[in-house]
Amino acid sequence: MSWVRRIANLFSREDVDREIDAELRAHIEMRIEDNLAAGMTKEEARRDALVRFGSRSATKEKVAGIDAALALESLWLDLRFALRQLVRSPGFTVTVIITLALAIGANTAIFSIVNALMLKSLPYPHPERMGAIFARITGGDPFNGRTWIDGSQWEALRDNVPSLVAAVSGGTAAGVNLQAGQRVQYLHAGRISAHYFDVLGIRPAAGRNFTETEDRSHGPKSAIVSYGLWRTTFGADRDLVGQSILLKGEPYTVVGVLPEGSTPPLNADIYTALQPSRDGEGGGTNFEVITRLKDGANWQQADAELNRAWATWAAGRNDRHTGSHVTYYSVPLKQGQAAQLRPKALALMLAAGLILFIACANLAGLTLVRMARRTPEMATRLALGASRWQIERQLWVENLVLAMVSGLAAVGVGYAALRGLLSLLPVGFLPVASVPLEGRVLGFTLLVAVLTSVLFGMLPAYAARKVDLRSSMASRSVSGGDRLHLLQALIAGEVALTVVLLAGAGLLIRTLVHLQTLPPGFNAAGVMTAKASLDDARYHDPAVFNRLLASSILAMKRIPGVSNAAVGLTLPYERALNDSVAMHDGPQAGQDVQTNVVYVTPGYFDTLQIPLLQGRDFNGADGPSTQPVALVNRTFAEKFLPGTNPVGRTLSKNLMVVGVVGDIQLSSGLNPVAPLQNEETIYMPAAGESSNAQRRARLVSAQLDCAHCWTGGGVEG
Amino acid sequence: MAKNDLQGTLDLLVLKTLSQTGKLHGYGIVVHIQRASDDLLSVEEGSLYPALHRMEQSGLIASEWALTETNRKAKYYRLCPAGKKQLLEAEKNFEHLVKGVRAILRYA
Repeated sequence: MSWVRRIANLFSREDVDREIDAELRAHIEMRIEDNLAAGMTKEEARRDALVRFGSRSATKEKVAGIDAALALESLWLDLRFALRQLVRSPGFTVTVIITLALAIGANTAIFSIVNALMLKSLPYPHPERMGAIFARITGGDPFNGRTWIDGSQWEALRDNVPSLVAAVSGGTAAGVNLQAGQRVQYLHAGRISAHYFDVLGIRPAAGRNFTETEDRSHGPKSAIVSYGLWRTTFGADRDLVGQSILLKGEPYTVVGVLPEGSTPPLNADIYTALQPSRDGEGGGTNFEVITRLKDGANWQQADAELNRAWATWAAGRNDRHTGSHVTYYSVPLKQGQAAQLRPKALALMLAAGLILFIACANLAGLTLVRMARRTPEMATRLALGASRWQIERQLWVENLVLAMVSGLAAVGVGYAALRGLLSLLPVGFLPVASVPLEGRVLGFTLLVAVLTSVLFGMLPAYAARKVDLRSSMASRSVSGGDRLHLLQALIAGEVALTVVLLAGAGLLIRTLVHLQTLPPGFNAAGVMTAKASLDDARYHDPAVFNRLLASSILAMKRIPGVSNAAVGLTLPYERALNDSVAMHDGPQAGQDVQTNVVYVTPGYFDTLQIPLLQGRDFNGADGPSTQPVALVNRTFAEKFLPGTNPVGRTLSKNLMVVGVVGDIQLSSGLNPVAPLQNEETIYMPAAGESSNAQRRARLVSAQLDCAHCWTGGGVEG
Repeated sequence: MAKNDLQGTLDLLVLKTLSQTGKLHGYGIVVHIQRASDDLLSVEEGSLYPALHRMEQSGLIASEWALTETNRKAKYYRLCPAGKKQLLEAEKNFEHLVKGVRAILRYA
């Protein structure tokens, strides 16, 4: 056990030093005694002894240094032996390394996502003082999750919760047209309230944040530019602040430029003031809140104020959650941002962990078989006087070498897997700017590698302890009952694990295939789409807007090979507008119901080949001056007008249903509106919207999607 | 080619001394080597102890604390089986070295 002693020596330095010291002193004393016996004086005897010996402390150090050198040397020897052994069986080595690299690599990739989502702190100062607001609703329609708020609720939060600095943003960044000097550009604009960047702790590199005056309805139009846009479009112009730019066809004054590397949760090229109001957009829960705790306040205090403020707010209006109890609470912003993805990420982590387990079980079996072949070698070494520990140590070192090499390969595999995974996810799916392969992830990989070496090395090491010298030497074969039991247990465990994983994986894949092949309700073959922002002062005039639609559809239809073209506010898989309509028939008669609303031009359903089930499609005559008409989808008809013929019914004031169309998927991914369920939708003519000023404003405040259908060969890729 | 160096020679002397005397402390080894070589060889006392420690850690020799004739506590060393094997090896190597060096000295 000299190896252990040497290592132990390195750690119990003091004891060893004391012993060496005592030994050296004894030596000098004995020399002095002999010198005295030879007739020297006391003084001479002492000096002679010391001179002969030289520096005692130097000797002591030399003796101590031996330990470190020996420990390293023996480890080096073991390592070299291990490498030789592994090179001698390349099949085994390569199998183990590839298996482990894949398994550990998968874990590395998933862990880096978990790390970015849950462990890494947000890139803002004092992230622990930042929060998101969650609502817990009990009774009635239970709910527990992040809450979006409307305009009046925002005012209650802003004015009556002194412990928090709060800010809201409006949904996701939307496409807008920017005109700066000679340049015209389509970019993404985010709409944020005053203090949004104060909550994030982001100080503009130039200029300032929005003021409360700018954030009021009809306040001055101002914009804050992201660092990237300032560098590219504005050529890093130092005098940009104060200049006027044309955004959405209207002049905006640039008041600030964000610093380099700032990553707000709402990632956009340019920001404008949200100017939240109580009606229009603010009439619905369209605002997302972020908060920062003020100095000296704590979360309990803030939550109490919040609940008080919103209880007063709810009392002042018809509470939407009658018969249920709502409490609001703050959660750390990090957790709030990742709340939706958390179960998904953890499920993935679990799956990756199971894969690693199976890999370990497989490798344990493989190592055990290899061990069996090496039993004669071990028996020989034992017979030659090697200790069992030396043999076992050799096995451990071999396993560790394998695991470390695999771990290194796994970092590469993990990196590739992570890039692949991220490229599969839709842009903006993860609420973080980047998923780095950083120190913590590498540490995790190292830990997993060491852990696997223990996991798959444990059984072989245990088996090595059982090598029986006599029988192994005599028969040169293995038939130990013990070994057999071990193998059987291992195989049983492995099969059990595999069955669980296989069943899980099979279920997952079948489900995915099923969801993938569900009919989306329209025919995507040969359809090309394009997006343009009509949120522009030029199109506020209904006549101009209608002319634009008509002429662009005509132009698209003129392209050779295009058989059909249409324009819609949103396309399948896109989040549609939400609005309420009053019902006069069916189970909800007399009530307002929420529905998706899509404005389309005639030919929209033909272009996407969405089936017309009943009634008629829109035609060119439907417009502002005629009877307002709408089409409903099948879900709307079945839900709100069951058992009757929807065609000819009236919604709201005098909106007449003229037809029923098939359902389409409203969202990609798996969520309540797609692909297993559908939501009610009504379609209205885009051209008819000029009669209703407010609706028209909302129509043009989003983007219009054009779909053109290509037929025949050639053009389409 | 056998491994030959000065450290090897010191090891050989120590191992041989221990095989001849059974067990001995460091000072005793120094005195023994000097006496047995008719004062021709004197071990540098400062380098003896690192060598002893290394051989002990490598399992060639073992040690225990015991009292000397003059009732002083000292660390006594004795040979281990591995040390005996190492001694045979080292003696053979040394013979080779001596033969080799002598052949070179006589080469005309």
